[in-house]
Amino acid sequence: MTRIACFVEKYNFSYSKEAEALQNFKQTAESMGHEFNFMFRNGLSEIPKYDAVFIRATTDPLYTAYVVSKTAWELGLKVIDDPESIRVCANKIHQYRLFEKFGVPHIPTLFLNKEEFHHKQISEIFELFGKPVVIKAPYTSFSKYVEKVACETSFRDVAKRFFRRSDFLVVQKFMPSRFDWRVGVLNNEVLYVCKYMMPKGKWKHGVKRRGKPSFVWGRTVSLKRDNAPQRLKETALKACAVVGCGLYGVDIKEVNGAYVVVEVNDNPSIYRGYEDYRDKDIYEKIISQLAE
Amino acid sequence: MLVVSNIGLRTNVHLVKPSKFLKSSVRDFIININNDYRYMKTGYYVSLHAEILGNRVIPSTENIVDAYRLPILLVRASKAGVPTLPYLVTDSVKQIMAEFTFPLVIFAVNPFSFNGFKIAQNRSALYRAVKSLSMNYRYAVCAQPLYGEMANYKSFFGKCDVVDKENVDEISRKVYETFNIPVCKLHIQHVGGEAYLCGFQALEMEEISPSDLNVISSEIMEISEKGGFD
Repeated sequence: MTRIACFVEKYNFSYSKEAEALQNFKQTAESMGHEFNFMFRNGLSEIPKYDAVFIRATTDPLYTAYVVSKTAWELGLKVIDDPESIRVCANKIHQYRLFEKFGVPHIPTLFLNKEEFHHKQISEIFELFGKPVVIKAPYTSFSKYVEKVACETSFRDVAKRFFRRSDFLVVQKFMPSRFDWRVGVLNNEVLYVCKYMMPKGKWKHGVKRRGKPSFVWGRTVSLKRDNAPQRLKETALKACAVVGCGLYGVDIKEVNGAYVVVEVNDNPSIYRGYEDYRDKDIYEKIISQLAE
Repeated sequence: MLVVSNIGLRTNVHLVKPSKFLKSSVRDFIININNDYRYMKTGYYVSLHAEILGNRVIPSTENIVDAYRLPILLVRASKAGVPTLPYLVTDSVKQIMAEFTFPLVIFAVNPFSFNGFKIAQNRSALYRAVKSLSMNYRYAVCAQPLYGEMANYKSFFGKCDVVDKENVDEISRKVYETFNIPVCKLHIQHVGGEAYLCGFQALEMEEISPSDLNVISSEIMEISEKGGFD
């Protein structure tokens, strides 16, 4: 029997489909003979009592989730998401530099330095990528801190905001599509495949409602992993290979028949009825990996 | 050996500015000297760039992230034999009061606050400290008991700007051996003739004095003469 702690925050239970998926993890683990307890941020001192930690709260080196991951790692526990995966996936500069180094096909990307941010550079970027371009803060997640700009004024406005937390930003060519592929990968094997559709008239999967704090999300269309295009799965596995052997959600765009990686996410969303719709065994596979 | 520094050092060793290094594809052993290595700041990206190029670099990005995350700093430092005090990561005032008695020292564990700590002598001060450092209970804080007095020391290559002050020198050396961060500030608590590591912080550029520059420069010269690290 493996004692598994699932690190969560209160917001993980605010959306019913995510809360149901978390209950599925618990039921699956218990049916496999393991102990599975939810651990909140006030329970960090309990980490040494467990054999494995499964992180479901949003990860970033600056969040409590990283403290949990690294503490468990230092104690020799099995951890999903491991600290190295968090560091690579949570910083898009780190990730795209690795994609460049290891030849992973990805969206044409430039890095913008706060110290060398001036008119000439913006003009050169527009000349190279055309208008609009996409500016990403390195710490982007859930479609936040990713904005499309088509003129120097909005470029400066967005960059100034994102430079508050990071001295470098990512600038990418704008490549519109009706959907992004999302390939779930666990330990170098494809776990599930979905299409994350863009909401009508929008260019990314999650878009903030004008003047409101809430987001509108596009549909999730699931397909059986065995029926997904082979080249798509190979591209996803190649991207994950440069990050690590954990649990990832790879976003991929299909452009003129070619697959280009948008990004690799650690801690991918798993909602009941979405990611698990076609391949019901994802809970069992993840729990088995933790209990290994 | 290449030294990348945003600080004006007095040394004969080959030295480049971070902006120049970040555009280069140099293959060498890199010493990254910066007053501020915090995550996503230029000091961090210098180490990241060196690692991506396949260079050996101090400090590594892993050590940078860990040193600035207080609970991880304390776990790893404690494993390396650095004296630390009990601590609690939480956003609950009730839990802190159940674990410790006043006075307490509270550090932030959030993406935005990096500077210093607050001391809480009583319940209302604790509520104020936790509310402020947790950004209205959105993030966790790290609480430690305050048994003695807090002090901070500048540390350069594991050497402290203090002489014969309990075991501060030893703490500074061990923290450097564990995290390899050449320039930093250590928060230390002095309790009954013993020193305990409580926190870690970046230095402001203004805090680095001419004599500190001499210390850093001579350390670099020494490393250079030895032909790098062992």
